[in-house]
Amino acid sequence: MLSAVAFFFYLSGCQLDHIEIKKPPKDRHQPYNYVGHKGMVVAAHPLAVQAGLEVLKKGGNAVDAAIATAFALNAAEPFASGIGGGGFMLIFLAKEKRVTVINYREKAPGRAYPSMFLDKGKVKNEWRNIHGLAVAVPGALAGWNYALEKYGTLKLAETMERSIQIAEQGFSVSETFSQINKDEYEKLLLHSGESSPYLFDGFPYEPGDTFQNQDLAKTLRRIASHGWQDFYNGGIAQRIVEAVQNKGGLITKEDLSSYTPIEQLPLKGTYKGFSLYSIQPPGAGGLHTIQLLNIIENWQVRSWGFNSPLYIHHMSEAFRFVFADRAHYLGDPDFVSVPAKHLISKNYASQIAAKISPDHLQDSYPPGSIDKELITKQNTTHLNVIDEWGNIVCLTQSINDFFGSGIVPTDTGFLLNNHMADFSPQPDSINAPRPYRRPVSSMAPLILFNQESPFLILGSPGGTRIFPTLTQIVINIIEFGMSLDEAIEAPRFFSYSTQGKARSLFVESRIRPETILSLEEIGHTVELRDAYDKFFGGAQGIMILSGQKIILGGADSRRDGAGEGY
Amino acid sequence: MKKSLLSLSTVLALAMFFLSVPEETREEWPRFEHPLLITSAGQSADVQIAGVLAKRAGLAATLSKAATEAELENIRTLALVIGVSMKGLGAAGLDLDQETSRVNRLVDAAKSQNIPLLCLHLGGEARRGNLSDQLITAFLPSARMVIVVKSGNKDGFFTRICEEKTVPLLELERTVDAIESLKTLFRSDNEPELFINILSF
Repeated sequence: MLSAVAFFFYLSGCQLDHIEIKKPPKDRHQPYNYVGHKGMVVAAHPLAVQAGLEVLKKGGNAVDAAIATAFALNAAEPFASGIGGGGFMLIFLAKEKRVTVINYREKAPGRAYPSMFLDKGKVKNEWRNIHGLAVAVPGALAGWNYALEKYGTLKLAETMERSIQIAEQGFSVSETFSQINKDEYEKLLLHSGESSPYLFDGFPYEPGDTFQNQDLAKTLRRIASHGWQDFYNGGIAQRIVEAVQNKGGLITKEDLSSYTPIEQLPLKGTYKGFSLYSIQPPGAGGLHTIQLLNIIENWQVRSWGFNSPLYIHHMSEAFRFVFADRAHYLGDPDFVSVPAKHLISKNYASQIAAKISPDHLQDSYPPGSIDKELITKQNTTHLNVIDEWGNIVCLTQSINDFFGSGIVPTDTGFLLNNHMADFSPQPDSINAPRPYRRPVSSMAPLILFNQESPFLILGSPGGTRIFPTLTQIVINIIEFGMSLDEAIEAPRFFSYSTQGKARSLFVESRIRPETILSLEEIGHTVELRDAYDKFFGGAQGIMILSGQKIILGGADSRRDGAGEGY
Repeated sequence: MKKSLLSLSTVLALAMFFLSVPEETREEWPRFEHPLLITSAGQSADVQIAGVLAKRAGLAATLSKAATEAELENIRTLALVIGVSMKGLGAAGLDLDQETSRVNRLVDAAKSQNIPLLCLHLGGEARRGNLSDQLITAFLPSARMVIVVKSGNKDGFFTRICEEKTVPLLELERTVDAIESLKTLFRSDNEPELFINILSF
């Protein structure tokens, strides 16, 4: 049982002092596991990894390092997350053997209302995505500060030093950055014109160009000297309000000054011998990952084989049922009743598994529907940190779409989110915008425990692909015996349902043509994506073996993922 | 400061490029006239880049991401910016077949009105792939000239098609280099030699 896990325990028991640490391969898609013995940081940009690792090596704990990494990502991967956004942080406190969640998801402004995205009865998508109305009250800085004050050892300003340096000195733009910059060019032009700080002389950055953000460096310095409150109740707050309202949005000074993150209990599930901890709704990704793993427990997936037609078919059908639940049941639990306990029960999962047929698609996937537009989002970022004391931070955060709303408050250099788009535009939805509500999110930072010990730390960006992606990675490791990065790099697939109907099955083009033919024969409409497509996320993972004597890191080559241990 | 240094180096590189292109070669480049209609083949945001390039080149241009035949009225050049974006297609409510049909109709209409086609591929290597390559293969042969950012032609894909169909191909190091190329391609005989400014830099 659990061949991969057994293999790693065997490996760690035999060769603790003799692991050969190879350099990362030139082909960035070739699976590569970073190795550490004390601590590890994996994140979506190498400079952010360095920022976190420096903090760990100086004696900071995992929370300190995670916040330093998050700030550095704001400078080095500004299109995916930052102080203009929000997210969730899953923390394992080794001494207390306790998992806690910090929810710093953005909130709707106090003047939000359910029909705010309807224009003469029709959904106005630009208002949801690239307009002042798209901006929700950011939570990142408040959340990071909360985590540091309660669980860290450093001051906020101390975690910002490296990010200021990255913003000031700049760095060489990657293919990923350049491509995303080109993809979002129209949005950047719309709000800031050719003088946008995210354009190079009015054009998207090319690979190899140096990207600097002096405005962001100044903003970070201001926060370091004035304190994080300046963002919510000072000069920066004023600029946010002006920027949002100038673009037709609703955020007020009161919305910003009243924002508070919340600390929550984690959501707990199991898969075979493993315990799984993740975040509570409105972070729906953890709940759905647990739900999917529960469904999979009813099947002999190992005997079907990795990415076999039978495996992909069953998984896709499970995704479709889960998406139906997502649309019907998920909202902000502070305001609506979310039946999480029911949705993650083994009994409910076996009912869904029993509905799935091996040779055909279902006529319908009740109940509910999901907004098709959510399916195109890629965005977000994820990082993991483990320190020498065994504390863990597993953090997923976002500004929603790449480059968020595209709105940059004057001379601040940071992007505001467009997370209001995560609310349903339908006024009668359980997830419709209402004052101070948090929109449903697919984020799903996960920690798997093998008995009492943390074994796998995992998360990914990727919008609605997050929980299908994480489920596939967990199964790749536990059932198909892959190493951590092999599991992350393995070809992925995704499907969903809307209004009870099956939608296309998206597959990376590395999946075998004969498998695709078989899936089409069963009835799937298959859509081929690139071989390594960031549409399916950019997962980061840490695997902890043999009582933390060996720590492996895996970082997704679909984006600029990197890791380093010590 | 670094930006301005890079801008300076870009201009110098551009000057070197023009110095290295023989006068007779530049003279052989086809001529185009404006106003031009800029549209996308594949709905990537590269079409917006082309709009800004045309503006900076001082060309009279209309940008219409999903242009139709009716928009060719009074147009002297059709500029087709090739590159598929699934997100862009989704936002436009189109699938690839519908997009291909639209562009086919537009190109056919341009041909029938003797409006020359200028194809641009500005997205580099990242804007290749099966879907983009389908459109490149479909529309390059109809072009009077093709402009491609070099990293998009690493495998010689554009070179092969252009050689086979005898379509002039201009490779650029960087997207921004297209400004000077467009100025040259759209210059009229009674206008001064536009790259004199570059040579005398």
